[in-house]
Amino acid sequence: MRSPRFILGALLAVAWMAPLRAQAQGGTIRGHVNDAAGKPLSGATVSYGSRNAQTRIDGLYVISGVPAGRDTLRARLIGYTSMARSVTLSAGQTVESDFALTASAVSLAEIVVTGYGEQRAGNITGAVTTVAAADFNPGRIVSPEELIRSKVPGVQVVDNNEPGGGFSIRIRGPTSINASSEPLFVIDGVPIGTGAGGGLSAGRNPLNFLNPNDIESVTVLRDASAAAIYGANAANGVLLIHTRKGRVGAPQFEYTGSMSASSVTRLPNMLNAAQFRAAVTQYAPNNVGQLGSANTDWFSQVDRTAFGQEHNFAVSGADASTNWRLSAGYLNQDGIIKGTTTERISLGLNLEQKLLKDRLNVQANLRGSRAKDLFTPGGVLSNAAQFGPTQPIYDASTRTGYYDWPGNSLQSADNPVALLNLASDKGITYRSLGHVRAQYALPFLEGLRANMDLGYDVTRTDRQSFFPSTLHGQLKSGNGGSDYRANQSQSNTTAETYLNYGAPLGGIPGNIDAAAGYSYGWSHAEYPYYQANGLSTDLLGGNGVTSARSVVNFQDIEESRLISVFGRVNYNVNDKYLVSASVRRDGSSRFGPTHQWGTFPSLSVGWRISEEPFMKGLGLSDLKLRGSVARTGNQAFSNYQQYSAYLLGADQSQVQFGSTFVPTIRPSAVDPDIRWEKSHSYDMGVDFGLWNQRLTGTLDVYIKTTHDLIFRVPVAAGTNLSNFVTTNIGSMKNRGLEMSLSALLIPGHQRGLSWTADFTASHNTNQLTSINPFAGAAQRIQTGGIAGGVGTLIQVLQPGVPINSFYVYQHKLGADGKPIYSTKDLDMYVDQNSDGKINNDDRIPFHDPAPKWMLSQSSYLAYHDFDMSFTLRSYLGNYVYNNVASNLGTYSEVTRGSPYNLHASVLTTGFQTPQYFSDYYVEKASFLRMDNITLAYTLKYHGQPLRIFGTVQNAFTLTGYSGVDPTAGLNGIDNNIYPRSRTFTGGFNLRF
Amino acid sequence: MNLRSFKALVFPAAVFSLGALGCTNLTVEPKSTVTEANVFLDASSYRAFMAKVYAGLAVGGQQGGDGQTDIQGIDGGFSQYIRLYWEHQELPTDEAVIAWGDDGLSGLVQDTWAVTNPFVVAMYYRVFFQVGMANEFLRQTTDAKLSGRGQTSATLKAEVATYRAEARFLRALSYWHGLDLFGPIPLVTDADALGSTPPKQATRQAIYDYVVSELNAIKGDLPAPGANSYGRATAGAANMLLAHLYLNAAVYTGTANYAGALTAAQAAIAGPYTIDASYRHLFQADNNTSPEIIFAVPEDGLKTQTYGSTNFLIHASCGGSMNAGDYGIDGCWYGLRLKPEAYNRFGPGDGRTNYFSNAGNGVAINSISNFDDGIKAPKFSNRTSTGAPGQNPGFVDTDYPMFRLGDAYLIYAEAQLRGGGGSRAQALAYVNALRQRAFGNASGNITDAQLTTDFLLDERGRELLWEGQRRMDLIRFGKFTGGTYLWAWKGGTKAGAATDTHLNLYPIPANELVANPNLTQNPGY
Repeated sequence: MRSPRFILGALLAVAWMAPLRAQAQGGTIRGHVNDAAGKPLSGATVSYGSRNAQTRIDGLYVISGVPAGRDTLRARLIGYTSMARSVTLSAGQTVESDFALTASAVSLAEIVVTGYGEQRAGNITGAVTTVAAADFNPGRIVSPEELIRSKVPGVQVVDNNEPGGGFSIRIRGPTSINASSEPLFVIDGVPIGTGAGGGLSAGRNPLNFLNPNDIESVTVLRDASAAAIYGANAANGVLLIHTRKGRVGAPQFEYTGSMSASSVTRLPNMLNAAQFRAAVTQYAPNNVGQLGSANTDWFSQVDRTAFGQEHNFAVSGADASTNWRLSAGYLNQDGIIKGTTTERISLGLNLEQKLLKDRLNVQANLRGSRAKDLFTPGGVLSNAAQFGPTQPIYDASTRTGYYDWPGNSLQSADNPVALLNLASDKGITYRSLGHVRAQYALPFLEGLRANMDLGYDVTRTDRQSFFPSTLHGQLKSGNGGSDYRANQSQSNTTAETYLNYGAPLGGIPGNIDAAAGYSYGWSHAEYPYYQANGLSTDLLGGNGVTSARSVVNFQDIEESRLISVFGRVNYNVNDKYLVSASVRRDGSSRFGPTHQWGTFPSLSVGWRISEEPFMKGLGLSDLKLRGSVARTGNQAFSNYQQYSAYLLGADQSQVQFGSTFVPTIRPSAVDPDIRWEKSHSYDMGVDFGLWNQRLTGTLDVYIKTTHDLIFRVPVAAGTNLSNFVTTNIGSMKNRGLEMSLSALLIPGHQRGLSWTADFTASHNTNQLTSINPFAGAAQRIQTGGIAGGVGTLIQVLQPGVPINSFYVYQHKLGADGKPIYSTKDLDMYVDQNSDGKINNDDRIPFHDPAPKWMLSQSSYLAYHDFDMSFTLRSYLGNYVYNNVASNLGTYSEVTRGSPYNLHASVLTTGFQTPQYFSDYYVEKASFLRMDNITLAYTLKYHGQPLRIFGTVQNAFTLTGYSGVDPTAGLNGIDNNIYPRSRTFTGGFNLRF
Repeated sequence: MNLRSFKALVFPAAVFSLGALGCTNLTVEPKSTVTEANVFLDASSYRAFMAKVYAGLAVGGQQGGDGQTDIQGIDGGFSQYIRLYWEHQELPTDEAVIAWGDDGLSGLVQDTWAVTNPFVVAMYYRVFFQVGMANEFLRQTTDAKLSGRGQTSATLKAEVATYRAEARFLRALSYWHGLDLFGPIPLVTDADALGSTPPKQATRQAIYDYVVSELNAIKGDLPAPGANSYGRATAGAANMLLAHLYLNAAVYTGTANYAGALTAAQAAIAGPYTIDASYRHLFQADNNTSPEIIFAVPEDGLKTQTYGSTNFLIHASCGGSMNAGDYGIDGCWYGLRLKPEAYNRFGPGDGRTNYFSNAGNGVAINSISNFDDGIKAPKFSNRTSTGAPGQNPGFVDTDYPMFRLGDAYLIYAEAQLRGGGGSRAQALAYVNALRQRAFGNASGNITDAQLTTDFLLDERGRELLWEGQRRMDLIRFGKFTGGTYLWAWKGGTKAGAATDTHLNLYPIPANELVANPNLTQNPGY
């Protein structure tokens, strides 16, 4: 490849030329720049006349080759008050001059680690938010994603309510339909792959391997200009996770332990035994004979108060040349539905050693974990909803000892308690992630550093489920018991080398900070599984292999490679005019041969108006206008799409040649030119700070258009090997605005009351702009499978409306405000096209699951030894399809061979046949939720702080939604979702 | 550690050597699936791929019963090639009705198809699926490709050379179908690379010329007729295809070529084929032993299972009071019956009506959806000539006879009468040979004076009833559209109504016009 060498060459040229001027003969001025407390400040700019230098990590600056004379020596660092003094220099003389800068708005000087580099917070030109540990959500946090929920504007964090449940994150809305919309996770500088949680898991969430207690901060690169340095993986935004390091001082032990109890908040509203009996009597008199005399609340049989415990232990230390932290954690959390548990054992080690007079910095970072997840075996929740409340739990006369409807009819629900106790489903995931990094400050050129980073990420999983042949569900389907085991493994290796150069420019004003490098990533994964149906015996459970009627063994190996070169230049003139440009060129094995390489550039500019003389004296500590434009990519789709696979024909589809039969092979239709989905993003923002950053805020508006979306579309006949092919076609647009405000409302002098309040608001509008640019307006793809008939789809992908909009009939309302029920569709539904019949053409897109507004308010209060925090969250304009109501809220469900229990909505609607496509079931799910509230007290224990805390998560939810949870996952379909819990956690943190 | 040397060399060297050595090779080939890169390293793959090009006619997908469908967006059985082709050539004519209400079927029966008719759409893509498979086979089997893979065995090369001719035959066959049904369509060959560049539309003349030249080029390379080549294309098949092309040349190009038709028919007749003594045997479960069949699409109850082709014809022809077991099948589908005109063409004593069943309401089709209306014509059967049932009542053994000697006789006769040369006496002899078989004696023979082209159209309707030829024949005689000849349900009315001439061609699917902006829709749609 030509480009990587070109970029490296260009960088080297810059690096070599810049210092030549500085090496001329003359006098020298040197010294240290410290803060008021004497701590060295690195990166401060010291100028004398037209000459500049930056302080090193120890605060030292050296300006050499200075002509004799008298001039002003200035030291300046963003967030500090600059200082100037007059210095006289004679030829060949060396003058020592130290500075002690006083902090003004120190938060502007905080170092924010961005991709392949770091910047002072005040100089960042992209939309970047860092959440530090102190601001993380408290309580029982199993997954790292949950730490930052509601803390960053524009970031939607969605879970599925299970303990450590699978998380999804959407930054500024979804960017893809058939590829992933999940952001890229980068842990301590190592990208861990794209897709949900960036990896493989036999449990609920691949990122659960990372103990949230080991995390120091999470930086979210929201806009594309900040993320573009990650190129073809950056379209969905990037989360940079930094793990904790040691603190300077003697070795310190830290222990945090907590216990928790969780209970169910809401359950589906089903009929009780008396109501059920009445419904069966009225609508299915033939079934009355089947009804028992029990009064069973099936949900109360499968839910529970769940307990959990967590212990984290860390020991750390640091001195001038070494920094280390070793941590161990144990977590065990039961879910509120019986049979669900997550358990994690984790270890972590961070080690940093400085060598060669601090020129070489070697870091090692290792972590490993075992996560064990127990799941409710398939269908416990749906069967608890469906099973007749008049029926008993146990029946001593059956083989299993549990009652089930007689006759093994396909039309009867399974006893959820039997399912829970007899079947099993569990997953164990071992994952280890580690990397070593060496950073070397090259001696021949001040400011030039070479970095090498080698990382690995290895996962091994074991997912196993067992359903004995005596289970009702197995009997009625004729499956005869099943045993499933998948032992998947994945190993990713990465190698990156890059150069950083940061120095003042000679001749022209300003500092330059540049980086350029090369990155190599390789992934190898194996997906074998074993599935046996029709077991000859249940005796071995899932622990052994019995002879079976049908056995399927499968193996799939997936490999991919990503090779990249990248470069970035930041140009900073007096912390006033800021420019940042980056480019990444990615080559991926997932792209077709003609599109193996993609280029992803970005440009952002900032103008800190607050530095202009005319703004002085207004109390503004910061006012910065930002603007950026960038292109990013998404390659989070499956491997090998460009390869035509030859599908082997079955024995029954052979062809006769003479008297012999010949099996066939068929090449698949592919688009050999398949390539990344690309996003173009435009962002305008303003950052402001008043009264030395006591009040800060940001405002961003953005437009993000995604092109070349991957879809399966008809192709011109004759050009490919079938009439449909997966190709890059279609586009969508997200527009929105984000706002955040943070204020120290009460400063809390002398340990009095202090109160910091953060507020975020974000608004996003998603619109699919095209599926197929050649087609007319009528095109649509139906999606969103629901319970109630195979292939029943409730959502639509249609240009002009948000993706996954609900696609429904408009239900006419009667005089009583209830939806009309009739045996004639025309009487119930609005005939949108007035053709006198109700069919698919009369369905219309109607709302969508994504929140239009996400609002949050986090407060942190302290008073003497007490501290308290809470997080309030509100979504506005999100809609949920209540599938439990639509599927079971119809009297036809009691006319089955064995009657299903009914959803209580049937008492209102009176529906006698299912009305799946009625807009009645699309409910507004706006809510206000107290996500968490914590109260803590810190006391001294043997001279060390001991913090005792209590947290309530999901303290309350106010919503008009009638189902179990208004945050019903990303797709907005509430089909027996796991109920949301309220969790009380108490614990303490101790250091010694 | 020697600090100085480290400083000077090691670290920068390490950094850059890693960068430089780090490869830029991005090719990562699949390991767990068979792909172009590895499939043809196995010599048996050439035969397997060849088999797929044939399988495109015989089954709807890669699994028994048309699973893993070849084309998307329609049921696998519905999309089976022969079933679609048969429906397009028979349902809109005076020969057949089908009772079912599947979206699009009644459009075919009543000549009211739309540009989105799912059956018409599927037929179009079926034609191009065959073309695509054949083209890809030809791309993958060039000498260069073979030697590139180290496949240098002379036996394999010879085998592949024959396969290439067969692939070209199958491509020509489907282009003929496309030319006949859809008129001007794109002409894509193995010389065009796979990809997304939409092809240009070709004229009917260009496709006609291409198919003729292909057939003449490959005739000598096709396998010889015989037991080993049953089910495969032979020179006889190529001659029959040429005969049909020439016979309809006036329709396709505006210039007749009856001499060509006569010569090609003569060449087919000269092959090792003889008239089967039993007309019924041609359509029975053991019809693979019939000496008359020149090219068949074989089906098998165990090894070649489809819900299309003869399995469709046999199941769909059965219903009402008919006994499924009489036809060797597991149940009736209550679909196909004769239109009255087809039945009324037969005179008394014609043995070709022996299998008809008049159970139900008689000849008239008052309701298309009522299976009892109309004469049943279970011409195809899953019982053998000895009465034994096929291997599997769910999937029949009966092969679909695409070209047979009786057809060649009638082509000769028609071409002779239309001035294509040859001998009129021979033409009469050929026609009477078929009639003698039909009547069991000379009682049905015609005189020289009776031998007219109109007689031949009717005779084709009798001899080749439900053999997928009727629409083509009616168009050649100018009777398919317009008002000169009306039959029940033509134009959507029971009595029959005149139709517009644009219906002589099916429309290019609406989807296809979107996917390929180079195409112009046929007139009238």
